[in-house]
Amino acid sequence: MNFAFSILAILLVATALGVVTSRNLVHSALCLILNLFLVAGTFALLDAHFLAAAQVIVYAGAIMVLVLFVIMLLGLRPSPLRPSLVTIVSSVVVGLLFLNEVAPLLLRVFQGVDVVGLGGEGTVRAVGQLLYTKYVFTFEAASLVIMTGIVGAVVLAKRKAGSALSSEASNGTS
Amino acid sequence: MDELVIAFIKAFLVFNVAQGLASYCVWVERKGSALIQDRIGANRAGAYFYSQNPILNFLLFPVRLLGVLGVINTLVCDAVKALLKEDFVPEGTSNFMHSLAPFLAVFPVFVAFAMTPIAPDFSITLFGHEYLIRPQVASLDSGILVIFAMAGISVYGVVLAGWCSNNKFSMLGSLRASAQMISYELALGLAIAAMIIYYSTVDIYEMVIGQQHLIAGVLPAWGIFVQPLAFILFFAAGMAETKRTPFDLPESESELVAGYFTEYSGMKFLLFWLGEFAEIALFALIMALLFFGGWDIPGVALPKVWWGALIGHAVLMTKVILLCTLQIVIRWTLPRFRFDQLMNLGWKILLPASLANLALVAWLKLAL
Repeated sequence: MNFAFSILAILLVATALGVVTSRNLVHSALCLILNLFLVAGTFALLDAHFLAAAQVIVYAGAIMVLVLFVIMLLGLRPSPLRPSLVTIVSSVVVGLLFLNEVAPLLLRVFQGVDVVGLGGEGTVRAVGQLLYTKYVFTFEAASLVIMTGIVGAVVLAKRKAGSALSSEASNGTS
Repeated sequence: MDELVIAFIKAFLVFNVAQGLASYCVWVERKGSALIQDRIGANRAGAYFYSQNPILNFLLFPVRLLGVLGVINTLVCDAVKALLKEDFVPEGTSNFMHSLAPFLAVFPVFVAFAMTPIAPDFSITLFGHEYLIRPQVASLDSGILVIFAMAGISVYGVVLAGWCSNNKFSMLGSLRASAQMISYELALGLAIAAMIIYYSTVDIYEMVIGQQHLIAGVLPAWGIFVQPLAFILFFAAGMAETKRTPFDLPESESELVAGYFTEYSGMKFLLFWLGEFAEIALFALIMALLFFGGWDIPGVALPKVWWGALIGHAVLMTKVILLCTLQIVIRWTLPRFRFDQLMNLGWKILLPASLANLALVAWLKLAL
C-alpha cells in the first residue's frame, strides 16, 4: 500500500512539474490530465472509490477537454524565454506564501505517515447515503448553481434574433 | 501469489475476448458491407492454396474456406500491410503527440473491457485448492462508473489526433467528433443511471444477476423488457459515442477525406480502427449484460462449475455477436445525419427523453 502510494506520489510530482515547466502548452495540458488520473488513483488507494471515478469523469474527462479546446483553438503563444523581473519577483513571493501554508504538512510527513483507507465510507453506497440524507440541501443547492451556469452559458452564446448571423443560419439550414 | 496468477489469466482471457470481438467486427464490416452493397467483397487471399500432397490438400481446405470468406484478407493481409507500411509524422507537429493519439484512443476501450464480466461465477478445484472465480478482471466498487470515465477519456484520442495532424480538415473532423461525443455522453450516462436505479446497484455482475428471473412466469426479466426506452436511448447514444453511422460525420469519408485520422497510416491507423471496433464490441457487450440478461438462458439455471461458466460465456458471446452485427448492418443501411440534426437529436430529443425515463424509473421504484 505504501509502495503503491510512493509510486503514485513520485509520478504526481513529476507530472505537476511537467505541467509547469513544459514549453508546449498542449504538453502541459496532457501532463495535467495524467496528474488528475493519478489523483484519482490516490483516491482509490484511500478506498474512496466513488470519488476516484467522479474525479476521472468530471475533471479529467470533461473539464480538461474544455481546457484542451481553449488551448488548441485560441492559439496561445508559449511564454518568452527570459522572464521579466516582475514575473520572477511575483513568482518567488507566491511560492513563499504557498510554502508557508504547506510547511507544517511537510514536517508532519517527515515524521512518518501511513496510508490508511476510509474503511467503507468512500464506497458508492456510503457516499450516496450521506449525500441524500445529511447533505441533501447542499446537494440540491449545488445542482441549482450548476443549472444557473448552464442556462447562463446558453444565454451568452445564443445568437440574438434579427442579427446577421442568425438570419444566415436560419436561411442556410432547414 | 495465487490471486496474482488468477488475475493474470483473467486479464489475458478478457483481452483475447476483446481482440476476438474486434476482429470479428472488422471482418463483418468488410464482408457484410460487401453483401449489403450487392458485391462480393474480399475472397481471393488464401483461397488458392493448393498442394500436390492429398493429405495436405485436405488440411488446407479450411484455409481455402476462410480465404473465400474474406477472413484471411481482413485479419492477416490487412494486419501485415499495416505493420509494414511506412510510418510518417506530418511536418510541424510533435512526434510524441502524434504517436500518443492512437494510444489514447485505444487505451480506454480495453480498460473498460476489464470492468465487464464475461461469464458467470464458477468454482474450480485445482491442486487441492477450491477457487471461486468471478470472470471479471477488476470488480471495483464503482462498477459501471468506470465505464463512463473511460468514455470520457476516449474523447482525448480524437481531439489530439485532429490537432497533431497539422491539417485543417482533421481539426474540423476532431472538433465535430468531440462535440458529438461529449453531447451523447449525457444521454448515455442518464440511460445507465436509470438502469442503476432499477437494479439498485452499480456493480455490473449484480445487474446481470438481477435479470435472471422470470416475470409472471413467462417473460425473462431482461433489461429490454423492463426498460425498453432506456435500451433505445442507450443504443442510439452508444452508436453516436462510437461515431458510427448514422452519426459518422467525424469520419465522413466523402466530406473530410478521413476526418481526424487522415494523417495516420499503417499501424497507427490500425490502432484507431481497432479501437473503434473494440468500442463497438464494448457497447454490444454492455448492452448484452444490462439489457439482454447477459449469460442468462431464460428458464435454465447454470451450475456453478467450469462448464456452466463456459456455456454462459458462449450464450453471452452469441448475444454480443448479434448486437455487433446489428450495429454494423445499421451502418451500411442508414444515411448519415447532418451536424445540426445530430446535435438536435442529442440535446433536444435524447437528453429530455433520458431525463424523463430516469424520473419515471425513480418514481416507479419508489411507488412499487
